Amino acid sequence: MSALGHYLEEEGIATVAIALIRPQAENTRPPRALWVPFELGRPIGPPSDAAFQKRVILTALRMLTASGGPVLIDDFPDDDPREAADPDWRPPIGPAAASRDQGALAEAIEAELRVLAPPYAASCSKRVRSTVGLSTLAPAACGEYLAAWLRGERPASPVADMSPALALRFVIDDLKAFALEAAIAGKPSSKQLGDWLWNDTALGVGLQVLRRDCLAGDDERLKAVAAFFVPALRVPAG
Amino acid sequence: MRLEKLPPEMAKRLGELECPNFETTPWVEGKPLSERRVAIVSSAGLTVRGDRVFRGRDADYRAIPSTTGANDLLCSHISINFDRTGFQEDWNVVFPLDRLNELAAEGTIGSVAATHYSFMGATDPVQMVDGAKEVAGKLKADNVDAVLLTSV
Repeated sequence: MSALGHYLEEEGIATVAIALIRPQAENTRPPRALWVPFELGRPIGPPSDAAFQKRVILTALRMLTASGGPVLIDDFPDDDPREAADPDWRPPIGPAAASRDQGALAEAIEAELRVLAPPYAASCSKRVRSTVGLSTLAPAACGEYLAAWLRGERPASPVADMSPALALRFVIDDLKAFALEAAIAGKPSSKQLGDWLWNDTALGVGLQVLRRDCLAGDDERLKAVAAFFVPALRVPAG
Repeated sequence: MRLEKLPPEMAKRLGELECPNFETTPWVEGKPLSERRVAIVSSAGLTVRGDRVFRGRDADYRAIPSTTGANDLLCSHISINFDRTGFQEDWNVVFPLDRLNELAAEGTIGSVAATHYSFMGATDPVQMVDGAKEVAGKLKADNVDAVLLTSV
């Protein structure tokens, strides 16, 4: 990101970068950067907190009129209040039965997606948005495709211009977004949502199993995409 | 990100990630904030629904018109090792268009660009040079004189 600051400023446009990883900003030496202490993925800070977000943006933009550069790196002083767990948050469904049989898992995931559909719809309605859509398939069709892979089938790609492996990657991205969006109500932290998805849902268990199988197989394209099924912090040790 | 909150190995990898070594330090000064036209340039792999998603470490960019609705912005960044739930709840966490519009309405900034842009941040920055120059030309054609760069 800081490199883009160099490129645009070389072309005559003033820039200020919001940097999440301070050492990277220090090493790239952009014209201006505001380091923020928020978790990766949240450069502007807490969701649904317009006042806090505006403070972050204004702190950054005011650096555009500051003197003393080039290379100004400032620190935003406050942490993201939404990193704290919401004690009142409850997941949309209870913990899934811990089956490791892949046929049962496939069935459980499809059933789970049906149960999550109403809270997902309610959440979309409240947020007036959804981030599901990378695969272009409906969530139920995404579930069918994932279930086929879990059952050991090698289904054809359901997306016209994507290989089966690439379609699988985007289908999985969509299913994770579908489940997480179904659980966004109140003010849960990302950790609460992640703990639920990866520990308590059939989808989370199924993705761990599929990742393991794909990485152990000999299909290089599947191995390449399997690395994008489960976040590094959620991969079991060993 | 407070790197000390991450497992040491991951913190070390992120902190020591190879960065381009620039010989120049460009610096553009300009008008007061209240007269600036501001654009967002993101490295979050953002795409407008229906546009081409980023499929890997693509070096090109996507345009995001200011008229884009929150329901039409997707994140196709290749990395899954950053939080997406903030963006899922509120797009301003990554793409603060609502906040910029508010700042323009209250006169804190001059105006908001007609079009914003996104790159795929996992791409080698050296490969982004041509795309960045192209974006700079488009920003200048839109009279943009301030860019807020957001990464994930």
